[in-house]
Amino acid sequence: MLYNVHFGIYVDIAMPLEDKSKSLLPFLSSPKLLPNESEAEFQSGLQSLLSELDNPSPLAVALVSQLNECLWWIKRHTVDKELLLHEAMARLLSREGSNWVGSGNSALSVALEHYLDGSAQKDQAALIEEALIDANLTLSDLRAKGFKDAARHIKMVDDLIHRQHQTIRHLQRSIDSIDYKSRLIKRMDLELAALESKESVKGALTLDNEPS
Amino acid sequence: MTMNHRRSLANQGNALKSTGPRSVAGKRASSQNSRKHGLNVAPDFESSPEYQTLVDLIGEEGFSTFACADIASGLLNYRRAMDAYYDTYASPEPVDEFLRDANVKASNPIFSEHLSPSGSEPQDVREMAAFFASMQRQERRKGGPVSRRSSDTHKLIRYQRNGIARLSSAVRQG
Repeated sequence: MLYNVHFGIYVDIAMPLEDKSKSLLPFLSSPKLLPNESEAEFQSGLQSLLSELDNPSPLAVALVSQLNECLWWIKRHTVDKELLLHEAMARLLSREGSNWVGSGNSALSVALEHYLDGSAQKDQAALIEEALIDANLTLSDLRAKGFKDAARHIKMVDDLIHRQHQTIRHLQRSIDSIDYKSRLIKRMDLELAALESKESVKGALTLDNEPS
Repeated sequence: MTMNHRRSLANQGNALKSTGPRSVAGKRASSQNSRKHGLNVAPDFESSPEYQTLVDLIGEEGFSTFACADIASGLLNYRRAMDAYYDTYASPEPVDEFLRDANVKASNPIFSEHLSPSGSEPQDVREMAAFFASMQRQERRKGGPVSRRSSDTHKLIRYQRNGIARLSSAVRQG
């Protein structure tokens, strides 16, 4: 029987467990990526987490894919913290200097971004250096002031990262409980099988001992 | 008449006098009241095809029927919160660069021209400039796109927390 799960993905209920888990992946972890993010990196993270699963049942796979997404969110928010700082630095620079009127701080913000990661063109570097002189600041002063200015938003991003950590903890506990449950079921199955075989041996022995 | 009853009557009387937000900041804040992410609407997972598929798959792992239903709806509920989280993150409120970067003082002649081409009252121009400056302050306080998306997604933390708590308890109790 085929189920149309999502975006035209079909799950055959009669297919093996591992295949079912994999067919659920695109639905439960449809990588909603931003334009500059790599899907290959996202998938490789997911595959490495899945390879650590002892028992890749559909539910375990579903939970692991959520866990992978949480790790991805942590990565995004960590980048955002640095971006917030750059945003605040550009704002301060344009407010302190003479670039505020007219040109706005978008050009300055782009130039600062390039300047900080070392990929600035000559004119961008000149613009930043001129703005720093105008504002009577060094880059480290600007960074410190920017941090103070963006503290409220940086705190928010820290909260978001903390939330992802908490979610990961919940997911890990859930995965552990499934794993424990499946091991318990397996152990009970083995014990039952052992009892059954013991009983059958006993039965065979009593049959052998019966007088003919 | 009890104290509580008297207080409640006084509250009702005072509420009738209320005219809503009066300040520019209050009006701007309340104008955003209708912005919704849809997470407060009660979901109907049971009628979705994903739900039945999940229930069938989870059922094969030895969970009871009730536990399967709980886990499947918990999972879909968590996904709903995370999808809204992504949408909010990916499309923050746009920055009004003109308003943010404009020079209010330099705009005064434009205001006076717009208010009355034949020469307007200085009081009107001052009020217009004050209004414009207050809008600009609001715009600047919101920060750039990264600040906006951080504060917008921050509002969705509780939905994420409730979603994962519900899913996790369904799995562990199942």
